[in-house]
Parts: sequence; structure tokens; C-alpha cells
Amino acid sequence: MDMQDLQGQALSQIAAAADLAALDAVRVQYLGGKGQITGMLKELGGLDPEARKVRGAEVNAVRAAVQEAFNAKKDMLETAEMDAQLAAEAVDVTLPADFAGFAALGAGQGVGRIHPLTAAMEDIARVMKSMGFVHGVGPELETDDYNFTKLNLPPEHPARQDQDTFYLKPDADGVRKVLRTQTSNVQIHTLEKHNPPLRVMGIGRVYRRDYDLTHTPQFHQVEGLLVDKGVTMGDMRGVLAEFYRSFFGKDVKTRMRPHYFPFTEPSAELDMECIFCKGSGCRVCKQSGWLEILGCGMVHRNVLAVGGLDIGDYQGFAFGAGVERLAMLKYGIGDLRLFYESHASFLRNFGKMAVAAA
Amino acid sequence: MKISLNWLRDYIDLRDGLGVDDLVAGLVQLGHEVDAVEDAGAALANIVVGKVLERVQHPNADKLGVCQVDVGADHGGVRQIVCGAPNARAGLTVAVALPGAVVHGGKTTIGESEIRGQVSKGMIAGRDELGLESDDPDRHIWEMDTEAAVGTPLAEVLGRNDTVLDVAVTPNRGDCLSHYGLARDMAALGLGTLKPWQAPEIVAKGAVDVEVTVATAACPQFNLMRVRGVANKASPSWVQARLEACGMRPKNILVDVTNYVMLAVGQPLHAYDVRGLDGVFKVRGAKAGEGFESLLGDKLTLRDGDIVIEDGAGKIIDLCGISGGAGSAVQDDTAEVVLEAAVFDRAQIARTGQAHIMTTDARYRFERGIDPASTQEALRLCAALVQAWGGGEVSAMVTAGAGVAAPQAIAYDPALCGAFGGLAVEETRQREILTALGFGVKADTVPWQVVPPAFRTYMANPEDLVEEVLRVVGYEEVPATLPRLMPAQLEIDGRPVELDRVARKALAANGFVEAMTYSFIGHADAVLAVDDAGALLELDNPLAQDSMTTMRPSLLPGLLRAAAGNAAHKDVVAKLGEAGKVFDAKGERLAAAGLLLADGARLWRGTAVKPDVFTAKAAALALLETLGAPVESLVVEAGAGAMYHPGKSGTLRVGPMVLARFGELHPKVLKHFGIKQACAAVEIELQPLLKVQAKARGWQPEAFPAVKRDVALVLPKEVKAADVQATLKGADRTLVRAVDVFDLYEGEHVGVGKKSLALGLTLRADDRTLTEAEINGVVDKALALAKDAYGAELRG
Repeated sequence: MDMQDLQGQALSQIAAAADLAALDAVRVQYLGGKGQITGMLKELGGLDPEARKVRGAEVNAVRAAVQEAFNAKKDMLETAEMDAQLAAEAVDVTLPADFAGFAALGAGQGVGRIHPLTAAMEDIARVMKSMGFVHGVGPELETDDYNFTKLNLPPEHPARQDQDTFYLKPDADGVRKVLRTQTSNVQIHTLEKHNPPLRVMGIGRVYRRDYDLTHTPQFHQVEGLLVDKGVTMGDMRGVLAEFYRSFFGKDVKTRMRPHYFPFTEPSAELDMECIFCKGSGCRVCKQSGWLEILGCGMVHRNVLAVGGLDIGDYQGFAFGAGVERLAMLKYGIGDLRLFYESHASFLRNFGKMAVAAA
Repeated sequence: MKISLNWLRDYIDLRDGLGVDDLVAGLVQLGHEVDAVEDAGAALANIVVGKVLERVQHPNADKLGVCQVDVGADHGGVRQIVCGAPNARAGLTVAVALPGAVVHGGKTTIGESEIRGQVSKGMIAGRDELGLESDDPDRHIWEMDTEAAVGTPLAEVLGRNDTVLDVAVTPNRGDCLSHYGLARDMAALGLGTLKPWQAPEIVAKGAVDVEVTVATAACPQFNLMRVRGVANKASPSWVQARLEACGMRPKNILVDVTNYVMLAVGQPLHAYDVRGLDGVFKVRGAKAGEGFESLLGDKLTLRDGDIVIEDGAGKIIDLCGISGGAGSAVQDDTAEVVLEAAVFDRAQIARTGQAHIMTTDARYRFERGIDPASTQEALRLCAALVQAWGGGEVSAMVTAGAGVAAPQAIAYDPALCGAFGGLAVEETRQREILTALGFGVKADTVPWQVVPPAFRTYMANPEDLVEEVLRVVGYEEVPATLPRLMPAQLEIDGRPVELDRVARKALAANGFVEAMTYSFIGHADAVLAVDDAGALLELDNPLAQDSMTTMRPSLLPGLLRAAAGNAAHKDVVAKLGEAGKVFDAKGERLAAAGLLLADGARLWRGTAVKPDVFTAKAAALALLETLGAPVESLVVEAGAGAMYHPGKSGTLRVGPMVLARFGELHPKVLKHFGIKQACAAVEIELQPLLKVQAKARGWQPEAFPAVKRDVALVLPKEVKAADVQATLKGADRTLVRAVDVFDLYEGEHVGVGKKSLALGLTLRADDRTLTEAEINGVVDKALALAKDAYGAELRG
């Protein structure tokens, strides 16, 4: 038979196969060990090399076409078969829920748990609320403007390189959103919307393009912003010392030293005395006696201006700290990456006071 | 940046008695964090200069010799060392690794040993074995060329008896990216006396012989000098030692000298081999699309505004402030160079560097700001050092450019230090500090006029001066105070955050163990969760191409991955939950989700539960009720989207708003994630809850008792239970308070295509006890309605 006719015949048989059994019969007829096309391939050995090349290409092309049609049809029939089976299994979902079964499921595993980072964020919020801060918001998918420029970080600012940034593919309007690199966008959204006096915290997830022993590409920050008349760096130091004291539940010594952030001036880092060695130097504080916890500073006049505020009338401070670091210190967790690896025993080990801690 | 203390001492006479710890503390006070303190010679500990006195053939090994080596009285005098190097011979000065020395890049610690019956008390080392640049043939020992006495530590011979500080210089302090710059800041703190530097006198011979024009405002100053007849060999060993201490690899004089001057005084420089030049330097802004090949061979397509140098033939020979060009790079045999030191616009260098993704030491300094007042002096220093190290004749300097604008004065009220910084500092002290830092202070009237030095960038506002004063006084002196109590603030923006937190507690309250998975997942996982892959948000620059590529459209893929991982560890969490943001083309929204998994528990009482659509429905309702949703008024629809079993899943709505999806998962999903045990899932949409959360209202006690009536109805199989409940309720919407399904039977007793549904009716009136007649009336009406609607018959 002519190759084209053979192919046409096979394809129409495949198309006509109504179920998997019928389809398989077609496969055996053409592609099976004793199938027609397989037979033609076997005959190639008897031809001279030149003819074998021509005929071989022909037969193989037909075989590929038939095989492809077979695979496609098989997928289709399998999907249809599964759909039919799933449809046959359909139940009346308006019947009452099985609360008893739900309650009994995993009952032997004990009560629910919150994640240690959730516990830490709750605890941070408790501390901040006790000092009058309320939650502010900012999106995780942010514009360049709110993540950088309005925070006094113009495109050519060298500090931008410190925050290796994830971007989304450009949207329909060509806008390339950033995954926020810091919770400081909460400052901008708050200042644009609300008038001082302000005490706002932003607690949430941020992203940086970094993945190694001490960095995960997502992590959490707590941001604080206080704006009023006559606020000083001394007030900043006082509030942050209270933050440490309340979060760790004990008096801690602090050390304030200059640093640089584009959105604050003056800028500082406020270290706390190592809670493990009391400042004498240990493995956790890398023998320095101090733990680097948070960056802070007086809100830069350019940032205040975003909210229409004049630094002569209002001034304030802002700070940011990593939640993971605080949680690691408070709960004795040695490896940052554990937070996101969802090991059953890790998750069960923390957050038992979930509901009571509300 | 790595700072050599030996080098730093060129520029500061440190106060007597200061230890390294004091220097570190001082730098930290100034705002320069010290990440590490390293002993530059640590790797060479226990390695000393020795002299081979004798070498004899090893009696038991053809290729080994037995040497007597003098390593000095302090190290045991003459030692016997077995050595296999073919060049070992009496009279050589060698490097001897004594017992305790670590060689071969940390892999070998030397000890005393016996080699084929001969004692060997150390090792004679080759340069490669010590981690030094080496031209020695393999297995040869280093034939040292030194005057140093036997026993002298090798670290000292190589100039490595040095302490290196790794200083984290913040992006606003470009002026501190050099030894002199840091010395200047340290001197202002009082750690020592600054030793201002100056280039040595040079007798200029000849001209630069380059025609220079500057046609861009982004290059305010451009200077060139030429050095002819340089012997471009290796730099002096002390120079190499300094460069190596700072993490740079020495190459040859002409490469090393530009690095040396940059690290010494902060000015990046470039050296051109004149063989690649044609005598014309036109500094200009590039036009988009022009091509340039960098020193390292990268071929770039330039952008508008990039600062470049064009030669007489129209070829671009340099991408200014970032990288030299391939054609004029300095070679080992370069004998004549043109040296460049210039000032470029910070922002333009940053834009160019970002656009071409080029990170170089020059860019790093230019975009942070250099000292334009010392650029020409740095060029003279560079030329003088070339001459000192490699000989040659230095030309005069040629200069072009419109010049650098003088810094603007800042109006500063010294009272701001207290009012803003929280620490009042005496005016005289403030003046001293600012002056020591290089500021020009005119203090005859308030506000003062304070002019920043040219080397300080990011100096524009009075707050910047508060920081300068405070960091020298010490931030530590600022006392902790507390702000005034403020008026209460109403939570306006924060409700979604609270909702997210409440959702996590709701999960835990209902037995879920909370996980946190990544916000980005693999594309293959994400497509399973959506009907239209076009709705997915993809990262433009993911960390890897096969994972963490796509913003999660649902929490379930992450939870399923976690569940599969735990199952592989034979530790199944029966209820695994998560709350957080999910993402699609419409943006981000808050969601919570839970997985229900058969945990294989073996119970001595009762039977273990296999999660199914109805346990998932219970989970959905329990979570929604915990979150304050009006569960009585929810509508259930069959089907829950792409991830679910189409016949065993449902959606819960209030009006048009979806509050939850629940059900068993689609077999293809379970297969994809490798979940083998029975599994069901629930997803809650949190944001709509803000609109529908039930508010508590007043409550009245029920004064009259309820009555219950049970009925069993035989119905066509396809009739929905919820519809029957609604129909029965319709008999009297006031009196019928609830209709509960408590049994379902399908089988031979009711016939093919039929089912029996047992329902309990609760009836109650607010103002009276219902009479038997009233009750029967309502029940009869209910049955009649059911008969009309479905042909329902009372089951006998």
C-alpha cells in the first residue's frame, strides 16, 4: 500500500477509536511488534544503502505521525475517561458538613499551632500597640516610586544596589512592578493619606534577591514611624529601648551608632547588648557583645515632604527591624531557612499558645 | 573595604597607646562598621627564612635529599629536613615551614616526621605551596632573594606583618573609600594627627602630546599626563604586599600603580597604552547604539549620555568612570602610557553602570563621589610613583573641562543639635568638630553659614550637620527620652493586617498547624491552580528558572509541596494551614488555606477519619464562623476551580462574593505533587470578610419552647439536600427555625434513582407555645411543598 494511504488509514482509525481498548487495538495493528509500520521498518535491512535511506525516512515520518496522533488521542480519551469517572463520583455538596470528622481528623496530633514568625509578629504588634502605634499598610507588589524614589532613593542612588530587587515582568501598560524590598513603603502610604501626629507600624513580608546561609529571598520586617512636633533622636532611642525591653521581657543595654539610610537623616543602628552573654562576647553575637537588630533615624525632610509636611513644623523618626532575627533570638532558632521549610516537627515545636496569645 | 594598618599609618600619627580595639571602636563611633579584623600574616605563621647548609642523598630514596637547614637559634638552630625538590642544594636561602605551619591552602599542617627512616623537622617550601604567585617549575622550592637573617618570619620579609580591617563604608561616604579618607575621619575624632599628602616633586619633560576636548557637562574636570620609557616589571614587594592585604592581585607596575593611588587617596585612575591611541581624546556623551568593547572584552551597546572618549578616528576608546577599552589596555610590555584622572557626574556614572551591569572599583567610587580638589594631585602622585618604581620620563599635565562647582553653604542653627538630635552640644565644640571634618564655618551670626568640603557628598541640609556633630561627640551620648502621649488614632488602614493575623489564629483554633511557604512558586505548580495561565504574575528575574518563578495564585501549591515533604519523612501533619497574600493579574489579596490529610493514625477506639469533601466543608464553615462570617446565609455551589475534584468540591458565597472553596483535590493535582494519602483542602478569601463580618446585635431570651418534628422523604436522587431544606422552611418562614438533614439512604428499599432523606424541623414562636394543630399544619404544608416541588413522598 502507498505510504500516504497507510498513514491516512491509520489516522482515521485512531480518530474513530471510541475508547482506550479500541485505540490500543489500532496501535497494535500499526505500531505493535508485528504491526504494519513496524514490519516495514524491519524490511529496510534488506534494501541497498541508498534506497534504505529514502525508504527509511518515509517510513519513519509515517511512524512519527501515527505515534503523535495516537498519543494525542490517548491523552484525550484518558482525560475523557477521568472526567467521566469524576462525574460519576459526584456527590451532593449541599449535604451537611462533617464537623465530627473534621474535629476527629488528626486529633491525636494535639492542638493547632501558629508559626514562630507569626508569634513574633504578634508579639511585636503587642509591644508597639502598648506604645500607641497602629497598623499601617503597604502592598507587597509595589511601584518603583513607592519602594524607592519617594523614600529619597532616586534611580541613580548607589544604595539601591544594596537591595537586590525582584521585578515582575512588565504588565499590559509596560509597568515593571517591584517586590517591595522593605516595609518602608508603609511610611509613604501613611504620610500621603494621614496627618500627624502619627504612630504607625508596618509589619509584613519583603523580598530581596539573595539566597544563602543567612539570607532567604523573602523575609519579614517591622517598620515604625512616629511624626509629631518636637520629636528628637533621644525620643527615638527611648522608644526603641522600650521596644527591646518589652519584646525580650528584660532590661537591655543599647548602643546607638551612626549608619546611613537615604530616607533618614541622621541615621543610626541601635544595637542591643547580647542577651546571651550580657556583653562579654559569645558565638551568637560573634564575640562583639552586641546584637545588630535595627536601623533607624530621623525621617528625612524629602520623605516628610511627600506627605506635604515641612520639617520646620513636624519631625519624627522611623525604624525597621528584621522579624526573623528577632524570632531567632527570642525562640532560639539557629537557621533562618527553617522558617520556610515547613518541617512538621519544627512547626509543631512553636506557637502552642496560639489562641491564648491573641 | 580592606584597610591596611601599615598603610593607614602613612596618613595618620596615631595617638600613643591605641590598640586595634580602640581603632575599631573609633571607626564604629564614626559610622564605619568593622566587619572583620585580620592578621595579614596569619597564613604565614611558623614559616621562617632558612639557609641550606648541606644536602646529601637520602639513603633509602632516589628522589629525596636530606638537608641540614639553619633556621636561626630561636627556632632550634640547624634542623634536618628531608626534601624532594630537584633544586634543593647547599647555599640556598629558603622558606622553611616549621612544625605547626599550615601550607597547601590550609590542607596540610606541618609536623615532625620520619621519611623512609630519616627524621624530618619541617618542610622547605615552594612559593605555590605557600599560596604565593609562582613561576617556579613544579616541585621546586623557592630560591629566595633576600637579605633577611635566618629565622626572620616570612610574613615580615613579605611585608605582611600587618593588620587588615574590613570596613563597611556606607554609600554616602565615598570620601572614606581610601586609606587617606579614613585617616582624615579618624583624625577628626582625635585618634591621631592627620598627615596631609602631596605628590613628590617631578621634573616634567615634554608634553602629553594629546589633543583633549571635553564636550559634556558630565565631565567637569579631565587631566592627562604621559610617562615615557617605563620598565613595566613587577611592583616593589612592599607595594604588592599592600595591594594583597587589600584583596587585590598585583600584576605589574602600570596596573598596580592606578590601584595603589586609588586605595591610597581615593581617586580612580586609568592608564592607556599609547600604542592604542592616536593622539586625540574627545570626552563626550555617547549616542544610543554606539558600540564599545571593554578592557575585559565585553561588547556593549552604549546609551544616550554614557560618558565616553572618542579618538581621532572616531573610535570609542574608553567608557569613562567605568572601564577602559580593549585596544589601549596596558600590557606586560607597555613602555609608554597616558595616565588619566578625572571627575565625572555621579548620577551619570550610576546610570551607565546600572544599564550595562558593570561593577568596577572606579564606578563604585565615582558614583559615591570623589574629592575633585585632589584629582590633579592624585594624577601627579601616580606619575611620580610610576617613575619611582619603573623609571621613565614624566610629561607636564594637560587639563580640560568646565570645572567643578563650589559646594553650597548650609544655613545651620547650632540649637538644632539639641532640638532635633536630642543632645545639646556647646557651640564652640560644634565649630571645632565641623572644622576638623573639613567644613568651612562662618559663625558670626545665627544661622551659621557652613560650607562642606568638596569631598563630602550628600551634604545639603542642616540635619546632615547634626549627624556630623553627633557622630564625633558620639551617638552614645544622646540620652533616651520618651515622646509625649498622643491622641488615640483610629485604625483605618490596618484592618487587613488585623484580619491576616486573626486568620492565622483561626487556623490554629481549628487545629491547623501554620506553615509559611514562599510567595513565589514554580510555574508548573502555579498553572495547576488557575484556569488561565495568562492571569499568573511571573518574575522578570527569578533566582532560578525552574523554581520560585511565579507569584503564587493560591496557597495550596506551597502547602502541597510541604505536605509531600513531610510525608516523605513519615510525619504527616493532618491539618496544615497558611495565611498570606496570593497574587494574580488583578493584584494581591489576602487568603487563608488548609490541607486535610489522612495521617494514618491507628486508634484503639473508633476509626481514623479520611478527609473528604464533607470534612473540607466543615473546615470551611468552621474557619468562616471563627472569622465572623454569616455562616447561616451562605450559598453552596458545586465545583471549586481547577485544583479540585469537580464532583466533590464546592464554593461558598455571600451574594456574588466567594468566601471559600473546599473539597477533594483533582487526581492530576495529587499526582503532580506526589500526594498519596487521602487529601482535601479549603481556601478562604479574607478580604470580603471585611464587608460581611457579622456584627453582634441585641439579644432577647427565648420565652417559649421549641418543638421538633422529624420527616423522612423519598426523593429523586438528583434533588439537592439544600433545596429540600429551603423548600421545607418555606412552609412558614417565621415558625420554622431550622431544618437539619440527619440521614441519607440510597438503596433497594427506596428504588432505583431515588434516595431517602431524613430531616428534622425545629419550630418555635416568639410569643406563644405552639399548639399541636399549628405544628401539624406547618409540617403538612411543608410536605405538600416538597411533593409539589420534587414529588417527594413520606417514607413509610
